[in-house]
Amino acid sequence: MTEPRKEPGAGPLRVVVDLNRCQGYAQCCYAAPEHFELRGHEVLFYDPTPPAGKQAEIARAVQACPVRAISFDMGSVS
Amino acid sequence: MPHDTLFAEVTDPANRANPYPLYARLREKPVSRQSDGSYVVSTHAAIRSLIFDPRLSSEDLPPSQRPPTGNPFKDWIVNPIKNRVVNAHRPLIFRDPPDHDTLRGIVIEQFTIPRVRGVHREVEGIVGDLIDKVRGRSEICLVEDFSYPLPVMVICRLLGVPEEDEEQFQKWATVLATALEPDSRGDEKQRHATATAFDAISDYMRGLIREKRKNPADDMLSGLANPESGKPAMGDVDLIASAILLLVAGHETTVNLITNGMLTLIRHPQELERLREDPERAPRLIEELLRYEPPVHFRTRKALGDIDIAGITIPAGASIVLLFAAGNRDPARFTDPDRFDPDREDNQHFGFGGGLHYCLGAPLARIETEIALNALVRRLVAPRLLEDPPPYRPGASLRGPEKLGIGIERIA
Ligand code: HEM
Ligand code: SF4
Repeated sequence: MTEPRKEPGAGPLRVVVDLNRCQGYAQCCYAAPEHFELRGHEVLFYDPTPPAGKQAEIARAVQACPVRAISFDMGSVS
Repeated sequence: MPHDTLFAEVTDPANRANPYPLYARLREKPVSRQSDGSYVVSTHAAIRSLIFDPRLSSEDLPPSQRPPTGNPFKDWIVNPIKNRVVNAHRPLIFRDPPDHDTLRGIVIEQFTIPRVRGVHREVEGIVGDLIDKVRGRSEICLVEDFSYPLPVMVICRLLGVPEEDEEQFQKWATVLATALEPDSRGDEKQRHATATAFDAISDYMRGLIREKRKNPADDMLSGLANPESGKPAMGDVDLIASAILLLVAGHETTVNLITNGMLTLIRHPQELERLREDPERAPRLIEELLRYEPPVHFRTRKALGDIDIAGITIPAGASIVLLFAAGNRDPARFTDPDRFDPDREDNQHFGFGGGLHYCLGAPLARIETEIALNALVRRLVAPRLLEDPPPYRPGASLRGPEKLGIGIERIA
């Protein structure tokens, strides 16, 4: 639910999935397959610090999650 | 108007263009008993709690024990043409665990990420061709010229239906479109037409499966027909039912989303302009469409036991209506719910349902709609509605315009 802050972050993105909320709908895996992977239909693996250039893809995953389990921001600029 | 006849008003085609005020009244009671004995669930919180509740069943009685409903998808057993015993023809959308989960798992295996994402270029090609076809015209019908043909072509390519048969598929899809409409009745003639189409498409699928066993290709039907050893597989009857379900469930729904999308964008010209300038707005805008004008307004379930919720008891055996489109406009969950706002945060809508039966085709529908809307706003120059509101099809659940006349300056 966290929207990316607008300043152009040089650092990696920070992604957090609330795994208690996650219902394994796998919508994030279709939206950003390099960064989210569902193993055995149940356990979600994800990349907590994708590179800054992947923002659009990560945003898609955030939007697509039916239970809004994913949040992300641009990480620290420093 | 008494509260317990509100849902009858919802199903009345006279209210199709704007059912939302009725939904607002229904939400005054999160769960309300209607005069026909059904229970309508209309707030976001109540839908959310029930959609995960295992006491809600999607399954009907076995087909042979069921009184005819007039809905051929369910009445296969009383098929007036051949009456063949297809008690087993039970698509997974009308089934409960454990069978539902087994079948869904097998079908999902075929929705591989490369396959679904790989459809991108194919969809762009189809979309481009469809728009090219209306070049030179100053008026189009978005449904007929664009939204209607697209989803069938896409699912045919994914399933592995040969291109030369797509036209025939298009015709079957049109006849079968009402199959998932809970309140579809139809006269004898329509039932006959639907049953004929079901027979024809089943025979066709049977043949195609045989073909895919002889010459497997990289498509979903080949995958389903030739399971890897050791993996769960389904029998041919379930396979045919699943293939037909993919066609039917993904058809009118996607048509509606694309059509509602353009209708909503033309009604909100600023948003149309913003999307034209920034195609990356599409994913959020589509989620907002799924909330604001969802293609599926409600689904029905049966109570397997007494269910206490929101101060009343839904008795075992009662029919339950999950009114997704009302939950989507619940002011207790969404700020300013009647406003179309693609920048909305925390947009947890029921556009694709939720729980066990959450739309299996959602990733595909999102891709199709994104490419379609982006191409339409880019290429239809100065679009305006010829009629607002447009005429709607009679269905109250799969609700969408029957036609959408759009006047344009030209095609870019
Ligand atoms: C915008 C387009 C679409 C919308 C709005 C939509 C909506 C829905 C909804 C609300 C459900 C839940 C039904 C229930 O709870 O009873 C559902 C289920 C389903 N949808 Fe979709 N759908 C769309 C596109 C598609 C496509 C393209 C496909 C196939 C390729 C598809 C296949 C299915 C299937 C197989 C189910 C049943 C899943 C189950 O019972 O486990 N849908 N859809
Ligand atoms: S889309 Fe959401 S619920 Fe589904 S797997 Fe990803 S994080 Fe979990």
